[in-house]
Amino acid sequence: MQRRTFLKASIAASSLLAVPSMIRQAQAAEPLSIYGVKSVSGTFASYGQYANMGSKLAVEDYGEVLGRPLTYTTIDTEGNAGKAVRKVQEATQQKGALFFNGCTLSSSALAVGKEVAKAGGVFMTPAGADELTGKNCNSSTFRWSVPTYGAIRETVLPLIKMKPEAKRWYTITPQYVFGEALLDNAKAVFDEMGVEHVGNSYHSLQEQEFSGYLTNAMAARPDVLLLLNFGGQSSNVLRQAVNFGLKRKMTILLAWSAGLDQFKELGPELIEDVYLGAQYWHQIDTPMNNAFVKRVREVYEMNPNYPMAADYIGTKVLLDGIKRAGSTEGAEVSRALEGYTYEGPTGSETVRTSDHQVIKDYYLLRGKAASEMNDPDDLAEVVSSGRTFPAEDAVGCNMA
Amino acid sequence: MLDLYLFQILNGLGLGMIYFLIAVGLTIIFGLLNFVNFAHGAFYLLGSYLCYTVVALTGNFWLALLIAPIVVGLLAWVIEKTLIQRVYHLPHTFHILITLGMALIIQELTIMTWGPVGKSVATPELLQGVVIMGDFAYPKYRLFLILFSALIGFGLWLLLERTRFGALVRAGSEDTETVSLLGTDIYRLFSLTFALGVALAAIAGVLATPLRGANPFIGVEVLGLAFVVVVIGGMGSFSGALIASLLVGLVQSLMTTLWPQGASLMIYGAMATVILIRPYGLFGRA
Amino acid sequence: MMTIPTTRKPSILGGVTLIALAAVILMPLLLPSVTLATEILIFALAALACNLLLGYTGLLSFGQGIFFGIGAYSSALVMIHWQFSLFGALTVAMTCGGAIAALVGALAIRRTGIYFVMLTLAFSQMVYFLAYTLSDWTGGDNGLLDVPRPPVSLGGMTLLDLTDSRAFYGFVAILFMLIFIGARRVIHSPFGTTLVAIRENENRASAVGYDTRHFKLLAFTLSGVVTGLAGALYAMMLNFAPLSNIELMMSENILIMTIIGGSGSLLGSLLGAGSIIMLGDLLSEIWPRWMLLLGVALIFVVLFMRGGLWGGIEALIERWKERKAHQQPSAAAAREEAGQ
Repeated sequence: MQRRTFLKASIAASSLLAVPSMIRQAQAAEPLSIYGVKSVSGTFASYGQYANMGSKLAVEDYGEVLGRPLTYTTIDTEGNAGKAVRKVQEATQQKGALFFNGCTLSSSALAVGKEVAKAGGVFMTPAGADELTGKNCNSSTFRWSVPTYGAIRETVLPLIKMKPEAKRWYTITPQYVFGEALLDNAKAVFDEMGVEHVGNSYHSLQEQEFSGYLTNAMAARPDVLLLLNFGGQSSNVLRQAVNFGLKRKMTILLAWSAGLDQFKELGPELIEDVYLGAQYWHQIDTPMNNAFVKRVREVYEMNPNYPMAADYIGTKVLLDGIKRAGSTEGAEVSRALEGYTYEGPTGSETVRTSDHQVIKDYYLLRGKAASEMNDPDDLAEVVSSGRTFPAEDAVGCNMA
Repeated sequence: MLDLYLFQILNGLGLGMIYFLIAVGLTIIFGLLNFVNFAHGAFYLLGSYLCYTVVALTGNFWLALLIAPIVVGLLAWVIEKTLIQRVYHLPHTFHILITLGMALIIQELTIMTWGPVGKSVATPELLQGVVIMGDFAYPKYRLFLILFSALIGFGLWLLLERTRFGALVRAGSEDTETVSLLGTDIYRLFSLTFALGVALAAIAGVLATPLRGANPFIGVEVLGLAFVVVVIGGMGSFSGALIASLLVGLVQSLMTTLWPQGASLMIYGAMATVILIRPYGLFGRA
Repeated sequence: MMTIPTTRKPSILGGVTLIALAAVILMPLLLPSVTLATEILIFALAALACNLLLGYTGLLSFGQGIFFGIGAYSSALVMIHWQFSLFGALTVAMTCGGAIAALVGALAIRRTGIYFVMLTLAFSQMVYFLAYTLSDWTGGDNGLLDVPRPPVSLGGMTLLDLTDSRAFYGFVAILFMLIFIGARRVIHSPFGTTLVAIRENENRASAVGYDTRHFKLLAFTLSGVVTGLAGALYAMMLNFAPLSNIELMMSENILIMTIIGGSGSLLGSLLGAGSIIMLGDLLSEIWPRWMLLLGVALIFVVLFMRGGLWGGIEALIERWKERKAHQQPSAAAAREEAGQ
């Protein structure tokens, strides 16, 4: 037993030493592995579980690529960026893995992006950090979700236009790089549109009690309360804002919501008439999304949520890239993805060549009242949608 | 601006009463049993999820407020009989380790039962809406929490200071043998006290759910906060816990206006300072 | 704090080191990957340092993540901004880890029992907050990216490139063995026996004339030095220093590894780090709720197996030896009978 494992280890070691690509070409019918980096256990399991289901389904639907059968392997990050990096290192070094999709956490995504680039692979992620397609961009990393710039412009701008009488805006922001990015973008829009920014409250990433911040907001008497936090914090601030009766006094906009799961958690009582920014919504009427929703209902007996959709399309685009490249060489697949236009859940989507950002729609939704809902997931309606992206020379991405 | 500070002070007092509810069970268990319960946050978590389930099934929040503490208290009673009683005599580190283990188990079982995505509970209909105070509005539900916590606090004080049960438990914590000689089953008293402390955590969990929802990881945050309050007030001190909760609530509320990022730094800094300068808390007995 | 024999016969000393050496050599061959083995050794170092406090001095510290994180950040920063060499960066990590540990220790050891624990907990939260706020230096929530892994060099001459994960494992393994042997020396020195005396009965130790504070502070500093080193190695392994290094969860994980492995035995730390990291790797994909088992293990250790996994193994060996001792005379007797 010991001897055999030793042999296996030395074979693996020697195959590592040989130029891997030559071996890979020689074994054309070998299955090709796609790796999903998901937080299946640990603190972010609520996200990873559905993301994993999405990637798995995409690989299943594809079946094979370049005549090679596909296999799907989950890499569990345990909700920890360090674990994510180590397990990705393992996959690239031990198994010659090249194709990765996933990472919810910005920290994991940034570090995994570096790791995959080192191995010459391709990494598709839905994570939120602007640095992914900005100062930390690289030739291997691609991002599906809209950056903070677009998320703000596609929510704040339409709302200003819809409610010309709402001149006073108040913001609540988590104090770290992602929150600051959202806030800076919002301030720019306020200036542009001649809207008064009557105040901002920063809070830490651990805060769960928002009554103090809501009190500050009340004191500033805004017309619109713009929430720039996300996940559990945005749920709690919304709960407490409703509790303080703010919904009756002002319009509330949550710019970066998590979509269906979060709306279900909050329920129509809380999100009724709240405006919600979203990367994805299962009721989007596009050919690809209609087919996707039908498929997910068949397989998983549910409506797809944001993590599932994001990682489904991310994995699918990755496979498209391999097909277009006609090769499993990371660099060639990366090149094949650049400028690639495909039918995505938000309509026709394009991979921008300069920074590997996918150009897609962002949505402004409005929470429905319980009486307006046609089914339990019919929690919101699309108010507007569109795509605005920072100029290619403004993101600070230098691939070379 | 002055109005704002005044209102922040009011809000801070309200917050403090919620913290009191969260922390009082922990301090009772420590004060009377000399037991350190790192699973306190996990029991709060269970209370919160039971609240969700009862409300989802019956639509009645008040029923949840009755059922959750009873169920969690019974569970605590069983755990005390089977596990905790074996470790009372050991140093505090063992208390920490065994309850840390329990907290992990409860957290994972919660995810297995209710899923990883959080849950919400609506504010009971009777208490929806706000009370208008000039420019500000204060939720009726938070007002109710202040009154209810005060009531619970008063009830506990009566129980511990004015009843035979309280007298026995207090005596038992000083001198186990004498109380046993008096013909009282001291271990039953301990079980009841532990169950009471834990049931209080569950009550806090139920009451906080309309404000914070239920998610599998709130236990850890609540535990940290409860310890800050209990340490500042003096471990085991009942009145200390009350005053410390109000202080922490006030600091937190005012800090959101003065220096929001520093709120948690201040709170933990205060805890460290108190331990270093007055190790038995601001109001604890040496 | 845990029950272990306070002194051991020197004859077993070599044996324990040999077992550690065998484990270090066999791990990369038997485990699915070298990187996994590297992570295990790094956390074994952290657990070993925690053990120095918990197992040998009786101090339950929730502050180990502070030293781990400081080690990672300080080494990464001097490498990124000032191009420090490998040994330069590791020295900085150990110095910073030790200095912060001395500072935290100096304050924390003024209290005992639960108050000591609460102090380490408070410091841990405060340092985490600082790391998160000073995002210009630490990268905040995104973590510190592009941490280099410099080669082993001497006077500008490169001796060994560590880019390859096997070479890096070798390097970590050598450091681990050096520290393991060093830690054994410390434990069996008069200093180590004094620490155990403090653990067993602090009042008596100080009555005998020991300045117990002085000894505790030294133990703290040593623990910080080794934990800082582990943090630096972890950052080099990942080329990345995430904020989670300095979170309370990190302190908790290091503690759990130490306790389940067996506090009071250095091999226990290796066993604890190894079994928990491997358990996570094996189970997390099959059963995402595997952490439940850690909870069960903690309760089990407190109730039945204070010596942790290593204590359990030792007990088994003892029993086996006893049985063998019983059997041998009877076997000899049987042979004699047969001979006659």
